[in-house]
Amino acid sequence: MSTLSKADKLINKSIKRKRVGGRLTFKRFCEYFFTYLALMIIAAIFAFPVLWLVLASFSESGSMYTFKGFFPSSYSVVTFVKLFTDTQMYDYPRWFGNTLIIAVCSALLGGLLVILTAYVMSRFRFPARKGIMKITMVLGMFPSFMAMTAVYLLMTQFELINKLWGLVLIYASGAPMGYLTQKGFFDTIPNSMYEAARIDGASNFKVFIRITLPIAMPMIVYTLITSFTWPWSDFILPKLLLKNKDMYTVAVGLMSLGDTEFARFAAGSVFIAVPIIILYFCLVKYMVNGLTAGAVKE
Amino acid sequence: MTDCEIYHGKPPLFKRIGGWFKNIPTRVKTFFVALGGKFKRIPLGFFARAKYIKTAPRPVKASMGLMGVGQLMQKQIVKGILFLLMFAAYVVYMALEGGGAMYDFFALGLVPPNPWLNIEGDNSVVMMLLGILAFIITGFFIAVHMANIRDAQRTFDYVKRGNPVPGFKHSLASMFDKYFYVTALVFPVVGVFVFNILPIIFMIFLAFTDYSGNIVLNGSLVSWIGFSNFKQLFSTGLIGATFLKILGWNLLWAVMSTLLNYFGGLAIALLLNKKIVKGKRIWRAFPVLAFAVPGFITLLAFKFMFSNLGPINYYIDLLGGKTRMFFGIDSKWSARIIGWLVNAWLSIPSSMLLATGILANLNADLYEAARIDGASPWTQFVKITLPFVVFATTPVLIGQFMGNFNNFGVFYFLRGGIICDGYYLASDTDLLINWLYSLSIDNKHYSLGAAISIIIFVIAAAISLFVYVKSPSYAKEDMYR
Repeated sequence: MSTLSKADKLINKSIKRKRVGGRLTFKRFCEYFFTYLALMIIAAIFAFPVLWLVLASFSESGSMYTFKGFFPSSYSVVTFVKLFTDTQMYDYPRWFGNTLIIAVCSALLGGLLVILTAYVMSRFRFPARKGIMKITMVLGMFPSFMAMTAVYLLMTQFELINKLWGLVLIYASGAPMGYLTQKGFFDTIPNSMYEAARIDGASNFKVFIRITLPIAMPMIVYTLITSFTWPWSDFILPKLLLKNKDMYTVAVGLMSLGDTEFARFAAGSVFIAVPIIILYFCLVKYMVNGLTAGAVKE
Repeated sequence: MTDCEIYHGKPPLFKRIGGWFKNIPTRVKTFFVALGGKFKRIPLGFFARAKYIKTAPRPVKASMGLMGVGQLMQKQIVKGILFLLMFAAYVVYMALEGGGAMYDFFALGLVPPNPWLNIEGDNSVVMMLLGILAFIITGFFIAVHMANIRDAQRTFDYVKRGNPVPGFKHSLASMFDKYFYVTALVFPVVGVFVFNILPIIFMIFLAFTDYSGNIVLNGSLVSWIGFSNFKQLFSTGLIGATFLKILGWNLLWAVMSTLLNYFGGLAIALLLNKKIVKGKRIWRAFPVLAFAVPGFITLLAFKFMFSNLGPINYYIDLLGGKTRMFFGIDSKWSARIIGWLVNAWLSIPSSMLLATGILANLNADLYEAARIDGASPWTQFVKITLPFVVFATTPVLIGQFMGNFNNFGVFYFLRGGIICDGYYLASDTDLLINWLYSLSIDNKHYSLGAAISIIIFVIAAAISLFVYVKSPSYAKEDMYR
């Protein structure tokens, strides 16, 4: 019997394991093999539909029925040309412009409102604060488009049907409801930072502009992206409120395309997905930060 | 002696139940004492208010009577005029629109439409909406009025302490300093009131009217009918049966897809977190790609993929199989399963990113310690990773559950416009939210739709509250601090 204690044995074992680390045992080979196999399968699952759409957008004939399975029978860029020149029936450039206007305006306006709300709720203590927090929590539990009918009637009363501004108003004023993520971020900024500026005689407005906004840059980026992508890809509200064909957003327009216009659909999709994809890849770090800010409760 | 027993962990179940019953008298007593205290304080508060009104200084009294006069009396001309203008605007609004709208809210219109005499008739629903708006505006006005009284009192005290009267510039500066929160919240609050709260209140009222079907088409007058819409949903008729079937499927859908998305995302994150994986950023790029494509594009693409002459059927045909209708009228389960998978494709990337972020915060020493203690990878996962991740993401998990419960897009795009046997204007894959849409937007049964949305709200509120109270992040807030 050896006189080694249990702890010693374990340490020896772990040292041994580390020595083996360099060599390729069967077990390690299996681990490598299955890990990479799983990764490849996952990558294929996520990449494939996207690739398929890209392929389809380069198909020469528009209809889906000429496809050989996943692959178009012949390739060309004619669909992209058609997308922008053949605007008689489907005015894609117009839709694209509409979507861009709506998304940019509501991202700027909504983003500002969310950041303001979140900052105030996190930094100030005032009588109505608890009440507002409870009310927003309750309001968030109503199904989001339960209010569709009422919004529609309201917009008819304000004569904002068929106007891009109407949509911007709705998106921007709905944005502050989701302030909790941003508030979670502001809660992590130590109070001493603000206090120092206050002692130097800065007003609360100045503190917000000079200190809060620069610190909150990652959060602002996240807020802007999320409040941009929502109108960019929303279809229910535009479908309800934009009745004229030349007022459509891309989502509503693409939805109105049938099976025979499949290539046009694919090309249009690729064209609006590409900006967002580039945006996401450049800013993926911010996205992760934003997502986690809402998760970990401070 | 039972009181001295020491338990390791929780006391046994019967003890807890016994304790619960034993505490009832005490709990009832404390409840009523607290309630009594509250009621006792109401007259006190009332008397205090009355006394304040009597003893308030003159400018404050003037402000109570007419907004802005107190400010004028204290030589704050600009502020006083602004308050007076607001008052005038409110009076003009009430005289021209608001007063009538408030009356119409209760009456819901008097003149029925008559196409023969070319009378358009009153539009009851618009009246209801504008009536609620008038009440909300009055609420805002009362709030401004209170602020005006408080402001007059504050100025009075300030001057009494021997300070000069604060000018308009001073007031403006305080808007950006001391009262910055008010200035900042004005626009969000007004926006939320007009575009969120007003419509929700409107829909709640609508659930108690008969605004549906023919009444919408003819434009006849709407009347209050109490709980009839709810009764219909819980009756034994076709509507009641549809409601129960859809509710059951909706719960199953939400639970399954939340679990699938959550653990799918966690699994991919763990896989990417392994030490042996090289080029993590490249591997992670694929789910991020899926994350970035707008949801409706993916959904429409999947619809095309599984359509009758789409690629999937092409290959089935090529291999000698029988072509299938994946989203046809009697393909209940194939549509449901594809729905789960498509939804997983859409949502796993975001939960993967979330899990990656959380795992980065996890202390690596814990694993080192566990390995030295001889814990297997599975034990490490169950005992360290899972509790930590679940702890950190409970709020998000609730959000995801609610998002899936109200997931409108998936079946709207994949299988919209189908009405199945035994369902009232719905298909067997429709969730409550799809049914709500089909009832109210497509078929004009607005009041029934409103009743359903209230029920969705009740379910959502109950589930989120229950899960939240039971969750570790509520019960043991500083476990991981």
